Amino acid sequence: MIRMNEAEEISSKQKQASIGEFFEKNKHFLGFDTQQRAIITAVKEAVDNSLDACEEARILPDIRVELRRTKSDELEMISQDNGPGIPRDSIEGVFGKFLLGSRFHAIRQTRGQQGIGITGVVMYSQLTTGAKTRVISKVKSDSSAVFVDLGIDTKKNKAIKSSEKRDIWIDERTGEEVSHGLKITTVMKAKYQRGKKSVYQYLRMTSIVNPHASISLVVMDKEGEIIEEGNWVRTSNKLPRVVEEIKPHPHGIQLGTLQRMLRESTDRRMTSFLKHNFSGVSPRAAKEILGMADIEEGRTPKRIKPEEAKAMITAFQTVKLLKPPMDCLSPIEDLLIKKGLSKAIDSRFASTVTRSPTVSQGNPFQIEVGLVFGGDLSSEGPIEILRFANRVPLMYQQGGCLLTKALEAVNWKSYGLEQPGGSGIPKGPAAVLVHLASTNVQFTSEAKEAVSYNEEVFNEVRKAMLEVGRGLKNHLKKSSERKKAKEKFELVNIILPEIAKKSSELLGREEPDLAPVITQIMNAVFLEEELSWNKESRLSMCSVTIHNYTARARAYTILAKWPEGEDTSMEFNPRGGRKEAKGLWAWRLDTLDPGTSTVLEFGISGLSKGDWNETDIFFRGNGEIIGATRMDEALLDEQRKAEALEAAVEEVRRSSAPSEGIKERPIEVLEPSANTDWFGMEGDGNE
Amino acid sequence: MGMSEAPRKNRKQVVEALHEVAAEMHNRMQRGDPPRMTLPVRSKTNISFDNKLGVFKYGKNKTVRDATKLGSARQLLRTLHITEFIEEMIDSEKSSTLREMYYISEGWGNGKFGSQNESNNLAEDLEIVTKCLREDFKLRPEEDGARIIGNITVEEKNRRGEWMRINCRDDVGDSGYGVPYNVEEEKLKLVDEDIDFVMAIETGGMFDRLIENGFDEEARCALIHLKGQPARSTRRIIRRISDEWKKPVVVFADCDPWSFRIYASIAYGAIKTAHISEYLATKEATYLGITADDILAYDLPSDDLTKQDIGALEAELSDPRFNTGWWQEQIKLMQELGKKAEQQSLAKYGLDFVTDTYLPEKLDTIGLGY
Repeated sequence: MIRMNEAEEISSKQKQASIGEFFEKNKHFLGFDTQQRAIITAVKEAVDNSLDACEEARILPDIRVELRRTKSDELEMISQDNGPGIPRDSIEGVFGKFLLGSRFHAIRQTRGQQGIGITGVVMYSQLTTGAKTRVISKVKSDSSAVFVDLGIDTKKNKAIKSSEKRDIWIDERTGEEVSHGLKITTVMKAKYQRGKKSVYQYLRMTSIVNPHASISLVVMDKEGEIIEEGNWVRTSNKLPRVVEEIKPHPHGIQLGTLQRMLRESTDRRMTSFLKHNFSGVSPRAAKEILGMADIEEGRTPKRIKPEEAKAMITAFQTVKLLKPPMDCLSPIEDLLIKKGLSKAIDSRFASTVTRSPTVSQGNPFQIEVGLVFGGDLSSEGPIEILRFANRVPLMYQQGGCLLTKALEAVNWKSYGLEQPGGSGIPKGPAAVLVHLASTNVQFTSEAKEAVSYNEEVFNEVRKAMLEVGRGLKNHLKKSSERKKAKEKFELVNIILPEIAKKSSELLGREEPDLAPVITQIMNAVFLEEELSWNKESRLSMCSVTIHNYTARARAYTILAKWPEGEDTSMEFNPRGGRKEAKGLWAWRLDTLDPGTSTVLEFGISGLSKGDWNETDIFFRGNGEIIGATRMDEALLDEQRKAEALEAAVEEVRRSSAPSEGIKERPIEVLEPSANTDWFGMEGDGNE
Repeated sequence: MGMSEAPRKNRKQVVEALHEVAAEMHNRMQRGDPPRMTLPVRSKTNISFDNKLGVFKYGKNKTVRDATKLGSARQLLRTLHITEFIEEMIDSEKSSTLREMYYISEGWGNGKFGSQNESNNLAEDLEIVTKCLREDFKLRPEEDGARIIGNITVEEKNRRGEWMRINCRDDVGDSGYGVPYNVEEEKLKLVDEDIDFVMAIETGGMFDRLIENGFDEEARCALIHLKGQPARSTRRIIRRISDEWKKPVVVFADCDPWSFRIYASIAYGAIKTAHISEYLATKEATYLGITADDILAYDLPSDDLTKQDIGALEAELSDPRFNTGWWQEQIKLMQELGKKAEQQSLAKYGLDFVTDTYLPEKLDTIGLGY
């Protein structure tokens, strides 16, 4: 059987809601309240659709946005992607009806949840300038593209098509035929504005959380002169993973929703209703729920009375349920956050964390935070906060947003950023990205610009902030240690020999032997690590040099952190050694005599250039090493135990039934914070 | 010529003194220790009044500059480069300005100076540890010497090596006699005078006002324009006039904490040059005004003290040079008023007020009335 065309598959999922006139009355909720904001919202709807469509069709997105002023208060917007296109018969539906995404019907993390949809753009253009929206759509399996102009009959909530034709679509810029994609052209009352709340900023932020996308922007004035331009090239070829749709979890269900579900149900028995419509409900739990709500198992869902539904809601909260599955979430993942940030911000250091997914009121959610520091970032003023919900930038109402408040609640001073008054947005050359991935993002208002308060989400964000904060602190400490060590090396290797030479020349004496002088000045073991990229072997190399500048012979075991994962391996490792824990390798070194040094080298495969630019080195042995941290054995033990437990849980999970919920044993999902700096951190390791 | 004559060393002595500094470093390295240089602490915490000399000198506190830190090690290397440079100049009978040495250090690689200030300080350090003068090192300051107007006659050796006789009233224009950077006997002789006292003036505006009003002739004095914080040569020539002609010296400055420091450097010795205070300071110099009392007595227009002023006054309270009843009173009064006043604020009462009323009244109180 031939697989159903991807484009058709996507459009068929979109259910309709008849609220055509709703728009006119609620422009302000929908992001079209000011002319400056209207263009941002329009671009956002178009780009979000493109990204979602490409993701589902597994296409690496190339998106181009062009804005051109046509009159003093009018802009033409052109948005073009290389997505799957929309089949001819679905165009009217996609552009002519208010599509409330899939959020009322299936639970899954999508961008589309957060807007009114592209129909809003068609309608706004029509209302403000009378212009039709021109759509060119090419589906791969068709031989030609559809060209059509669209308007909207606001009373009937229906698109009006005109000038429809089929033709070969030649891309104006490349002169080549487009094999699949979508292009939208429309004219609306709008004003282009630069700065923090601009289309530019919106696309910049979007490109950060979509490292797999190439996005470009050109803004032109009436004469065709370019007044603003942006080009964010993809830094990763890895598409976000396909997220599974999940059924709602009983913990997050409200009475009204439950009643609607009962009403629309085609199930004949309540037990099968519970089993088919919810996640986390095992047959035994279904029986318990019904027993507690005093509902017979064989009742027809349609016939359940409001009081009975109410009793079910109470039972939902009491009966022990499984957690909802987490594969409905699509985190960006820390390496890709790093890549995304590097696409838009030139910095020296990035610390990122992807927390394990967790649940609030039946809704799975996951927090990710990235912090960049140094480089081109300005050290004046408050840091830049980049907020995202399900990969969609939040640009307004920063102060009222939970994500901001959780950041403000951290004592950044102890992590090396200025924070006048001890709370609030810190100052310094840093930017913080915070991403909330959730099947149900709760906003403070319909404008969907600020995440509303939720204790579990707040705590997760705060914990993630503390983790990246620790990363920053560690980095700053290392930088200053490195600087000190560098100075010492310069002192004994360059300046001291010159002092010896010059004084000997002046006095006409012989040059003194400097070895004992150097030992006295340094009186320590120094360690320097250097990470580099080997182009030929495509390995991320780490070279650790240890100098013994003491008067005694020293023997150490050196441990290094490395990005161990499914895709990476320790390809080059002439010194052998052994694995101590996940991401931690150990080498026992030969005795290092006074005044000698040794180099330890290893190389990691499976990474790209620039992926690995900071590591931690630990040691075991007598005496301190400047540039390395003494291994904290207690913490290492804890990590080993956690890993063993995780492995055991994984084992159980694999052996448990393929269909979720049949086995009775509830799996306690462990929540070790992913990619944490586990060992060797001093002091604040309790968070 | 009296106790104030600076002790000069011959070439051999200078080179030997410099080699001792290099030898301290070399000896330590031979023993396996980091090289170092020992210096007196050069701050107000380490100056004290020398009863025998009557001026402030460095105390006993020493600081060790050793090669255990990169910054200090660089200083030591630079010191060796300066030593070599001085030896070369002595051998070739050349001299250079401190600024020239700063630029020459561009070629010294790791011994290059970070700033002009650093090279000046290192030259001073060498003076201190070797007990030589920078003239011995063939180093000249860039700094601007003072100008003098008054009925005194000097002989200066000009660049052709001839002695020129100059009367500082009749042989000079309105800008007066420019004091050279070297005012030692070998370069400048004080020949003749017909004055009763010397007045050192802080600002150029007041100096010119007094000249226009003919004050030098009327009051029979020599006027010296200090040009802010006075250069070594300015302080040295004041000292020589005081010693050789036994003339009183008065200082006329603004009323602010920085002017107090100008006076202190003339009368008691400057912190930076405390190693040669006995040649530069004139302990007989008197502070004439403007005092904090004057602001009240003459109801002078005044400005509020700035943050820096307040900090400077506070620092002066603990500066041993201002540890006299009179100075403590003046400083505290000024803190109380929260005000400072310029010399030229006297113009409130007309251009002649300073010469007709203020100065005669003030000079009268110290027995120099005319």
